[in-house]
Amino acid sequence: MSAIVIITPIVIAAWPAFGSAVAAAAVSMGFTVLNEGVNQTRLTEHQQGGLTVTLDVPNSAAVTGGLGRDQRIRIARDGIIAEFSRDARGRDSVCVTGEGYSQDALRSMGEELAGRTVQQYVLAKLKTEMAGRGMDLVEETVGEDNSVRLRVRHWQN
Amino acid sequence: MKTREYEITISPTGEVEVHLDGFKGKGCLEAIRFFEKVIGETKDVRQTSAFYEPDEDVQIHNEQRH
Repeated sequence: MSAIVIITPIVIAAWPAFGSAVAAAAVSMGFTVLNEGVNQTRLTEHQQGGLTVTLDVPNSAAVTGGLGRDQRIRIARDGIIAEFSRDARGRDSVCVTGEGYSQDALRSMGEELAGRTVQQYVLAKLKTEMAGRGMDLVEETVGEDNSVRLRVRHWQN
Repeated sequence: MKTREYEITISPTGEVEVHLDGFKGKGCLEAIRFFEKVIGETKDVRQTSAFYEPDEDVQIHNEQRH
């Protein structure tokens, strides 16, 4: 062993990649993707009849150049609806609502969804970049704490 | 051929821990740069004893003078 490195992710993705990460996170948490598209009606309390909590997706850098602006993807589970969106400034956020849920419960769900989306984004990007470098993915497991563990081997001259 | 092994853990919040194995010396710095480029910013690096061993590609010549 030579070193252990802790890296904080930075999400810089065009919408297709970000939308895929949201969908992968949703499926891993038992959510269903309801719809995805541009300029859908924004999720509001009025629509759902419950409280609404909106959070920024952590570590997501604004993507300029119109890569997926005003895109939305909506997911649902057990009466909770969450909508990930990218605004005109390129900022990613998640809005969570659900009738009968407290604000704390919705906030907690939004934070977990946002984190798992970043996790899935990092996982997909790592796999693509490592394959391009000739690194072999030997093993992939998901721990009880929902961490994803990869064992990778690389032969070098 | 040298074998490099990496154990990568991606937490549910997206933070990544990479264990770099099979390196001697500062050869692992290049690998660290690769992961930084792909993932983001390094928050912490813990170097193990092997990090301080001589670089694999550095040959040490002892010259004797008379």
